[in-house]
Amino acid sequence: MKKLIKIFFLLTKTSIQSMLTHQIGVITFLLGKILRFIFYFSFLFFLLEKTKFLAGYNFNQAIIFFLTFNLIDIISQMVFREVYRFRQQVISGSLDYYLTKPYPIFLKILFGGFDVLDLITLIPVLILTAYFVFQIPNLLLINIFLFFFLFINGLLISTGFHILVLSSAVLTSEVDHSIMIFRDLSRMGAISMDIYKEPLRSILTFVIPIGIMITYPAKALLNLLNLQSIFISFLISFFFLFFSLKLWNLALKKYQSVGN
Amino acid sequence: MIKVKNLTKIYKTPIRKTNLLADIFFRQYKEKTALDNISFEINTNELIGFIGPNGAGKTTTMKILSGILYPTFGEINVLGYFPFDKKPEFLKKISFISGQKNQLFWELPVTESFKLTKEIYQVNDSDYKKSLSNLIDLFNVNKLLKQPVKTLSLGQRMKMELINALLYNPQILFLDEPTIGLDIFSQSAIINFIKKYQKNFKSTIILTSHYLQDVKKLAQRIILINQGKIIYDGSLKKLTDKHSNKKIIKIILDCEIPKNFLEKINQQKISYKNNPPLLEIIIEKNKLSFLIKEVINKLSFQDLTIEDEPIEEIIKNFINNQSKN
Repeated sequence: MKKLIKIFFLLTKTSIQSMLTHQIGVITFLLGKILRFIFYFSFLFFLLEKTKFLAGYNFNQAIIFFLTFNLIDIISQMVFREVYRFRQQVISGSLDYYLTKPYPIFLKILFGGFDVLDLITLIPVLILTAYFVFQIPNLLLINIFLFFFLFINGLLISTGFHILVLSSAVLTSEVDHSIMIFRDLSRMGAISMDIYKEPLRSILTFVIPIGIMITYPAKALLNLLNLQSIFISFLISFFFLFFSLKLWNLALKKYQSVGN
Repeated sequence: MIKVKNLTKIYKTPIRKTNLLADIFFRQYKEKTALDNISFEINTNELIGFIGPNGAGKTTTMKILSGILYPTFGEINVLGYFPFDKKPEFLKKISFISGQKNQLFWELPVTESFKLTKEIYQVNDSDYKKSLSNLIDLFNVNKLLKQPVKTLSLGQRMKMELINALLYNPQILFLDEPTIGLDIFSQSAIINFIKKYQKNFKSTIILTSHYLQDVKKLAQRIILINQGKIIYDGSLKKLTDKHSNKKIIKIILDCEIPKNFLEKINQQKISYKNNPPLLEIIIEKNKLSFLIKEVINKLSFQDLTIEDEPIEEIIKNFINNQSKN
């Protein structure tokens, strides 16, 4: 384990060093992220100033959903940034090299490109989240614990999604579109799933478990989740991760590599 | 050390149709047999050359032996392991290098890649320093260590790739076209290095190369693959001795070729190229003494050399003959 942590830190260090060689790229990337957050936040603010409620939630509650989405989205991008570069690694043949290294392959292709720029954007979102969480009336410690566990559960689902993208890249050399589909789907969770009608709501919650990934932690915080739903959410994330790992193993068996 | 029995690898590729809907919903695949039931064994400290035309199955074999690809059928045992299982104990004992691919951090000095390799393979500090200094001396690349990889030439980068791959003294080294695209100086430096490394570290090296002169200089044994099948397994010298029956005579002439000389060689159906002052004659070995007599008696020349048929030509003819059979 100590060895793996050391390798992770070395990969992170080299990833940061490589990134810092492109200074203009760093600035525009950060600017884009900040602007997108501000625009969406302002949109919700102005919308709820007029409507007062969104699917039954007031401004503070709607913002909790939005911030939970942002936390999961930013952490996923920060930790799984290497997935975005995976297509190039498949078509250039670099994946062949990674497959011959004596460490778990995900250490490189999933976690190997830790993005420090996302860490920079994460800090203000964390502060904002803490501010709005403490605005919740009658907040219980158990709700904070449940939020924490369901948040981790959400990150496990996000891990599963990213493994699915990697598997699809091994089979088809396709990453860009599948990662965009994932990003668009998860963006649907920026506001509570309750806004969608059935059967779309159930599909987005249980089949493509965006709802469990993003809406459930926020609902737990607002004390709107029953025990049954919490149990189901852990079960679904377990099976989702299990399924994505199975698909990854299958993809590796089907991998054809690139010729010379 | 390496045992391969009845190894087969079949690749599937989609057949493109003109109908987009059929392409998406009713996609059909064609199968290509990259390796067709091949068997061989490789012992410790052997240096084997895999040769054959493009698409013959050389790289596929190496990728299966190093655990990158999953075989369709067959038994494979490398150092007691099934390579595709990717056991860390197995992967620590092998190294895979491809001349056409880069595994160093592109933007950073090469020492950053070396440090990562040290951690991945858990090389202790003293062994790391010793290995690194030996390898750097062998290649004389001390001045290049602080340069970002992207600023190195292809030859310099290949040397660094080799150093990076050998820092942990692997037992088996898979070298896929290590000299491709290199100038003659870098090519020769790498060939000499591989030779020395194998001698000093008693490692097993499996090499593919289109430059048969490289293979000739390095490999005691070759495995010749064509269309996924092994068509020869043995010494390169034996193959060339057995299948080369031609010599090339190059003569720098002092004067024009006399008519009676040309008549004689035409009678014997000997082929030649006349680019004055160079006369090049390709002749079967059994006619060599006859021709030498004729040359000495009838031609006035400054220089005369007798060369073996190029190794590439011998292998090409051998493969063509095998394909016909």
